Amino acid sequence: MSDLFVLAISCIFINNILLAQFLGQCPFLGTSKKMETAVGMGMAVIFVLVMAGIITWIVDVYLLKALNVEYLRTVSFILVIASLVQFVEMFLKKSIPALYAGLGIFLPLITTNCAVMGVCLINIKEEYSFLQAVIASFAYAVGFALALILFAGVRERVDLGRVPKPLQDTSIGLVTAGIIALTFMSFKGMV
Amino acid sequence: MREMISMIVVLTVLTAVSGGLLAKVQSSTEVQIENQVLKFQKAPAIKSIFPDVANDPIADRFTVEADDMKLQVFPTKLSDGSKAVAFETKGTGFGGPVGLMVAVNLDSDKVIDVRMTTHAETPGIGTKAKDDLSFVSQFTALPVMDTNFNLKGSGGVIDAISGATVTSNAICLAAVNAKEIYQKLKPEIIKQMK
Amino acid sequence: MAQSLAKEFTKGLWAEMPPFRLVLGLCPVLAVTKSVENGIGMGVATTFVLVFSNLLVSLLRNIIPAKVRIACFIVIIATFVTIVELMMQAYAYQLFLKLGIFIPLIVVNCIVLGRSEAFASKNGPIVSVADGLGIGIGFTMSLASLGAVREFLGNGTLTIWEGLPVFSMGPDFIPFRFMLEAPGAFVGLGLMLFLMNLIPQK
Repeated sequence: MSDLFVLAISCIFINNILLAQFLGQCPFLGTSKKMETAVGMGMAVIFVLVMAGIITWIVDVYLLKALNVEYLRTVSFILVIASLVQFVEMFLKKSIPALYAGLGIFLPLITTNCAVMGVCLINIKEEYSFLQAVIASFAYAVGFALALILFAGVRERVDLGRVPKPLQDTSIGLVTAGIIALTFMSFKGMV
Repeated sequence: MREMISMIVVLTVLTAVSGGLLAKVQSSTEVQIENQVLKFQKAPAIKSIFPDVANDPIADRFTVEADDMKLQVFPTKLSDGSKAVAFETKGTGFGGPVGLMVAVNLDSDKVIDVRMTTHAETPGIGTKAKDDLSFVSQFTALPVMDTNFNLKGSGGVIDAISGATVTSNAICLAAVNAKEIYQKLKPEIIKQMK
Repeated sequence: MAQSLAKEFTKGLWAEMPPFRLVLGLCPVLAVTKSVENGIGMGVATTFVLVFSNLLVSLLRNIIPAKVRIACFIVIIATFVTIVELMMQAYAYQLFLKLGIFIPLIVVNCIVLGRSEAFASKNGPIVSVADGLGIGIGFTMSLASLGAVREFLGNGTLTIWEGLPVFSMGPDFIPFRFMLEAPGAFVGLGLMLFLMNLIPQK
């Protein structure tokens, strides 16, 4: 039990997917200009990542490893994720329109979000058990949402300041992200 | 309907061709990849454990089998004439797998030395254990058959590296695995040693 | 013909150079640029995938039904990514270990899918290859230059192949370790973007 807790903490803070592992940078910079979009994207990632983590783990263990075709991992994972995202989108649109209104526009972006694919691959590479894979997927997604929302908060403030023209937008965004990453580095050595 | 069929046909054909092509590439690179793993992951560990032996343990490697276990063994002869083997085990504890090359003296059943072969990508955690020889030297000369290789906190005899408890634990788990493997496969290994 | 070929090729080297002009595919840029060697390795792997997926997408552009085109593109890209992965394991194992998970992740690199969708699916095979090659080389140059800045400041060396530094500041150099850590990647790229923005675009 304590092992799983340690795993969750290390995935959220120490190995934070955005600030330490550098996965999912496109949405990190793309959807962090406003707080609302950051929250929407964060929630959508939590939702999809947990499902993708579970499904790809099952596919890998019971299909790829069982049939000894591990070299098809990249192809099958990306197909699983792409169809999962499509399916979730259709399902939400029909069944839970309120949630779709909030997350809908972010869902297509998630297919090419390497955070999702990255975590699925990490789960396999680290040889996690099923339970560990579920916890890790969830914790990484929470870390993603946390970093994204923190970043959006800071970025909204930065926009109010007078930033020199060449430094505006992405450039100052990256420097800001660097400073946030610096604060996350202080979690190192905690586990 | 026509469109539907063409969609399904195109996707199926594409996936089938891709699968076939990959199978071909995979089978043609398989041997080469295994050589690379030997050369870059296992060989450095073996060479650092047996710095000056007469034979080449990597070239003399053989595989032993018992029950449903399979193990690649790197044999050598020590300077005092006793036989020794090295083999790799994994500690699949929390925090990802850690590979450990374990060398055992076949005559005295004592650990000669251990070395990490793979380290987790987790920045800062795995590397420490790999660089810290005082940690792995704790294993030297322990009798394989009756030592509890766990960390002191879990009733064993090994001190964890401070700040890298997770990796320390994974290494210990690998050593515990090594003990189990060695107990099971020792008769087979001796049978195949020249 | 030759003129438009040259145009498609050179636009990737400057006007649409990823990720400086086209802010896409940042994950590998930030993650693997601890040394010039890693940057070049990643860039070459991405270029290979870009060129071949562009070629194939362009050849098949009239056969692939519009509704499943993204799925088809993804299968094509993923196939080449896996080939690169296996080849690197077989012939550049140390580099493969360093780049790790970022090799399979080329499949979700927005640049690759972006070129398939925006360019190769609308143009002929030869121009598409030129486009892929140009963008790929531009990407490699960006990775290598960021890698050079980070490695030089963070370690005092420049490494091109097999971990052997071609240039070293010697033992008296006090490295600025920050540049090799995660925050250094963000700040380094941010400042490089700033420098690029200082140069006026036509």
